[in-house]
Order: sequence, then C-alpha cells, then structure tokens
Amino acid sequence: MSLESSLFSHRWLPLLLAVPLMSLIVLFFYVPVFQAFYWSFFLEQPFGGGSQFVGLQNFERVLSDPEFWMSGWRTIVFMMTASSLAVVVPLMLAVAADRKIGMSLPARNILVWPKGIAGASIGVVFAFIFNPFVGIMAPLNTMFPGLWNPGIDGTDAFITLVAAHVWSGIPFNFVILLAGLRSIPHTMYQAAAMDGAGPWRRIFDVQLPLILPQLFLTFVLEFTESITSVFALIDTITEGGPGGSTTLLVYKIYVDGFSGYDLSGASTQTVLLMIFVVLLAACQFVFLGRRINYER
Amino acid sequence: MNRFTLAAAAALMAGAGSAQATNFEFWYGNTGNVEVAIKAQCEAFNGAQSQHKVNCVGQGSYEVAMQKAIAAYRAKNHPVLIQFFDAGTLDLMLSDAVEPVQDLMPDVKWDNFIAGTRAYYETSGGKLFAQPYNSSTLLFYTNKTELEKAGVTQTPTSWEEIIEAARKLKAAGHACPFVTDGDTWRVLEQFSARHGLPIATKHNGYDGLDAEYVINTTFAAKHLANLVDWRKEGLVRLAADTKAGNYTAAFNAGECAMMEQSSGSYAAAAKAFEGKYELTVNMAPMYKSYERHNTFVGGASIYVMKGHSKDEIEAAKAFLDFLRRPEQQMFFTAATGYVPVTTDVLDAIAKSDEANSPKYATAKVGVESMNQPATPDTRGIRLGFYVQFREVFMEETQKAFAGQQTMQVALDNTKKRGDQLLRRFEQTYKGKQLP
Repeated sequence: MSLESSLFSHRWLPLLLAVPLMSLIVLFFYVPVFQAFYWSFFLEQPFGGGSQFVGLQNFERVLSDPEFWMSGWRTIVFMMTASSLAVVVPLMLAVAADRKIGMSLPARNILVWPKGIAGASIGVVFAFIFNPFVGIMAPLNTMFPGLWNPGIDGTDAFITLVAAHVWSGIPFNFVILLAGLRSIPHTMYQAAAMDGAGPWRRIFDVQLPLILPQLFLTFVLEFTESITSVFALIDTITEGGPGGSTTLLVYKIYVDGFSGYDLSGASTQTVLLMIFVVLLAACQFVFLGRRINYER
Repeated sequence: MNRFTLAAAAALMAGAGSAQATNFEFWYGNTGNVEVAIKAQCEAFNGAQSQHKVNCVGQGSYEVAMQKAIAAYRAKNHPVLIQFFDAGTLDLMLSDAVEPVQDLMPDVKWDNFIAGTRAYYETSGGKLFAQPYNSSTLLFYTNKTELEKAGVTQTPTSWEEIIEAARKLKAAGHACPFVTDGDTWRVLEQFSARHGLPIATKHNGYDGLDAEYVINTTFAAKHLANLVDWRKEGLVRLAADTKAGNYTAAFNAGECAMMEQSSGSYAAAAKAFEGKYELTVNMAPMYKSYERHNTFVGGASIYVMKGHSKDEIEAAKAFLDFLRRPEQQMFFTAATGYVPVTTDVLDAIAKSDEANSPKYATAKVGVESMNQPATPDTRGIRLGFYVQFREVFMEETQKAFAGQQTMQVALDNTKKRGDQLLRRFEQTYKGKQLP
C-alpha cells in the first residue's frame, strides 16, 4: 500500500483517472452479463411488452436439449483440436525462426502480418481457399469426385474452420513464443551442446522448459478465446452448417437469440457458457499454473 | 467545437426537424435490383410532394431487419414503417408493437387485395395487419435452350415430367438438371400449400396457439425423401453441389437447367439469360395424382409500428397510399418480378400496351398460382417462432441430404423440435389470443 500512496499522493485522482475505463467495462461487460443472468430466469417476449418469471425452467429446457449438448461437445472438440494446433504450429515456427537458418529474419516479420486481418475477412478468404470447385482441393475433387465438399460434408466444414482458426492464431502466439525463445541466454545452448545434446534434445530439455510461462499464457488465452472468437469464422464460412455440424455454442446462442427471438434461451446458454469458461480458466491456473516457475 | 457552436448546431437540428416536411423512416431488407427499385420508389415519393419525406434504410436482409427492429423497439428508437417477411407474421401479430393497417386506414378498399395475399396477413376476423408490398410466390423456371438440346421439347409441368426431363438431361451429359437449396419456404411450405397438405394442425395454427406440426406424416415427407433419392441419382443438385455455390446463380449462369424459385428472381434471371438462353416461367410443379391448390404469398409486407407522433403516422399513411397506386405497383413488378397485390393493377396491366411484355410475365402466372382453389390449410402459416423452425428444418434435412440420417428421421426430429418451439411460444404469450 505504501508504494501506491507514495506514487499517487492525491486520494481521488487515481480513481478519477480510472473512471472512464471502469464505466466502459461496467456498461459493456457487467450490465450485459447481469442482463443475461436476469433473463435466464424469465420468459421474455421478443418485442418486450411482457416477461414472466419461470424460475429454473429455462435451465431445465436447455440442459435437457440434446442440441445444446451436441453444440457443447463440438465446442470442446474444436477447443482441443484448433486451440492445441494454434499453439503447436506457431511453436514450431518460432523454434525454426529462432534458429539461424536462411530466411528466419524475414519470417519473423512476415509471420506477424495476419494479426492485422479481421476474423470475418479470414473467413471469407478461407471459404474461397477451401471451395470444392476453385480452391486448393479442386484438383483432388476432379480425381475423386465428391471427396471434399464443406457445403455437404460436416467433417469437411469442421476441418475448414479449424484450419482458418489455426492460421488466424499464428501471429499472436508466434510473437509471444518467439519472444520467450529469444530471451533464453545463448550460453545455455552452448553449454548443452558442449555436453553433447543434439538439436532435438536442446529443444525438449532447454527451450521448452524455459518458455513454459509463455506456453502457459498462449494456452490459457487460446483455450478461452477459441470459444468465442470462432464466431466470425463460423458466420462467414459455414453459418453453422451443413446440418448444424459447425454450430458451436457461441454460434447457437447467436442463432437462438437473434434469428429465433429466443432471448431467454440464448441468455441461459450464455450464462452456462460463461460459467464453463471461468471454470476452464480456473482449472488451468490450478492444475498447470502452479507448476510453472517464472524465475530464471 | 466550443459550447456556442454546439448549441447552435443543436438548435439548427431541432429546427430542421420541426420544419414543414415530416421526416420518417422506412426499413427494408432487400438487396440487389429489388433494393434499387425500393429506393426509386422512395425518391419518387419525395419528389412527388413536399409535405412528407421518407428516409429509406436498407438493412441487408429480412432477418437482420427484424433483429434490428426488435432491438430498436426495445430502445424506443424504431422506425415508423418497416418491412417484415412472411415467417415473422405471428410473432408480430402478438408483439403489440405494430398497429394493424386496416385500423389505421379504414377507408382503403382492402378487398381490392388479391385473396392469396390477404389470407396470409389478415386476422381471424378478416382484418389486414400489414400492407402487402413485395409479394412473390414460388414459380418453376427452366432453361428452355438447354432442355431442347437434351431433346425435351415440352416444358415439364409435373414432378413426373421433371424427373423424366432430368434423366434425359443427365443422359445428354448435363451435370445439373434440377437445382434447389432445400429451403423450407420452397420445398416444404409452398409444396404443402399447392398440394393441399397441412403443415400443422389447427389449420397451420390459424385456429389456436396449441397447434402441432404434421410435416412428417403428409405427402411432403415422401416428396422430400424423393429429393434425396433423386440427388443420389444425379438428377437433383443442392446449392453446395454447384460450382456457383448458390443455386440461383447456378441457374442464371446456365450451369443448371431447372429450378423452383420466387417470382422475385425473374428480373435477374431474364437479364442473365439475355442473348444466351431462352427462359420459361410457369406455376410450380405438382405430382400428377394431386389437385392443384393455391401457393402462399411470399416476400414481405409493410407494418406500421406503434409509438410515433400523429404527424409521422400521417406521413407514413401517405407513403403507403403512394405504394398502392397502380403505376407504382406496375413499376415495381416490371423492375423486380414481384407480383402486383391488388386486382385493379392486374386489369391495368392487361389493358396496357405492354400486356404481353416479358417484364410482366410473372405477374400473370404468379397471381394465377395464388388464386388457385384454397382450403383452410392453404391460407398461410400462423405458427410461433416460425423463423427458428425454418432453421431447424434446414439443419435436420441437410443431415438427410448428407446421408447422416434418413429423411423420415429428419422430419420426425423436425416435428419434435418444432413442437417444442410452439409450446414455448404458447407459454411466452400466455393469456394472449390470436387476433
């Protein structure tokens, strides 16, 4: 406490300076969250004009709906595949870019560029890249007709989504991981090499343990963010189809709430999703976070 | 900007608002050449008089327009006039957010509206809730040039003939004889209506909120199962099977030879075909053993929203009057392919020099289709949360087309999930009566 008060001698000034940001957070985060909680206990008419308290009925309805569990399951599958790949792929790239190999310097720069592209734009581009008639799979399709069609086959659509997500996740995770790798003193590699450790051995025994804090950060952010950030991709690439095969929870909430005017059901699912994300982050901190040593 | 200029600007804006012309907003959802036609009508209205000024705002799609209207209404920031699509009818009727047009304008000759469009938007007492605007219905389009190349000289009129023609096309090496997107409106609603089949009990919900879906037991189930088989045979293609990725685009580009589509697509198809192919439009096909009934009106109608000043309502009424004028309807029909909504316009077209002009081709056949003998099951669809039902139907049937489940299972699931929607709607509007 003493440190803070010596920096800010004025008592109200720091609070005052924080007010604009705090009010934005309240307005755009806490108020909607409260609203969602509130509506999840009511049956709300779309145009207003009447809502009735129904207790836990919305939760009963949502939790007994197989569609909710299916989309929840898809969310978890997506999280496990897309998020893991979105960390592992940049990790490989970062390890390569960190080494003194040809093109590693320009690569460090170029690999960051996709960060500047909005999710929706990435979606439009990937929908084109994976188009069964003009995309990269088109030659395969002419050899084996019907092999690849994300518009009909749910698995193909899911793969397209994962690929787009991994690609969009590369820049940020790459920067974090590369920064971690660059901060490892060179003498460590030299010492390891002197002891006879080959390149692979050095990666697993020196580099990976030393960038655990960065890895942990990217994993936590990826896992929690993949749940919501995938929305833009789904909306532009698959719109949840075909046959609901890419309707992840975040998209289902949107469709139920905005296309179906089911404000209560969408709110209830929002509450459940929020609880899930908080629990997920908590688990990561409890089970993984403790094992990480931030001191070097 | 200092305080004085701010105050001056505010005063100026307030002044402009209260000046002679009453400004009001009209939201619509169409895009493309339909949007161009809507904008032209707005400009014509503003140019024809100086008392009122309409500000027409495009929202990108019917669904988005409705989403925004809900949000705007809750925020008390909604437009005076808004175009809503057919599927939202019951949601709006019970919303208490709109004023029935027939109450607002009792002097208009509402009987003038053709029966098919009236039935969809009127209350059980026969009162029109909204003014039908861009009305369409389902028609059958063929690429006559491609059909003739494959040796089909007579345009098919029944499903049996379509499939026969499709087999000939396929034999001639055509990759896409018949194309559809499997949309609920096209393959279920319009099919059921013209075959006289109910979609739900209680005459599709007209007789009460406690209706239940019956789509899995009617002949529509057989037709949908046929579509799956025909797709396997290579006669029917889905939008995702086509190079264009969009079935209307696939037809317009000549990739596919036949399609069922709204009359509102006529202008675009005719333009795309110009100089390349010959286009035919007819009433949507029947199974031979069934008698033809009317098709539903599709497209959208204009609602007057509550909570506006008297001046704004008067201005909105003037705009609605303007849109009903025969010359405006004729302009809109010619520009888009949507059908006229009042009988006097049909007469006016028949009497005009251009009665047989292709730009009025859909008017005659579209109205004829909607004027076929009606039954209590072909008035329209009055089911709650119907927009969401359409999504459920698409999701389940897509699984059937992909081979993950049979069409019967898909329809059984659709019925089950649809009934849950209806029960929740009933509960949401507990104590309310169908108007």
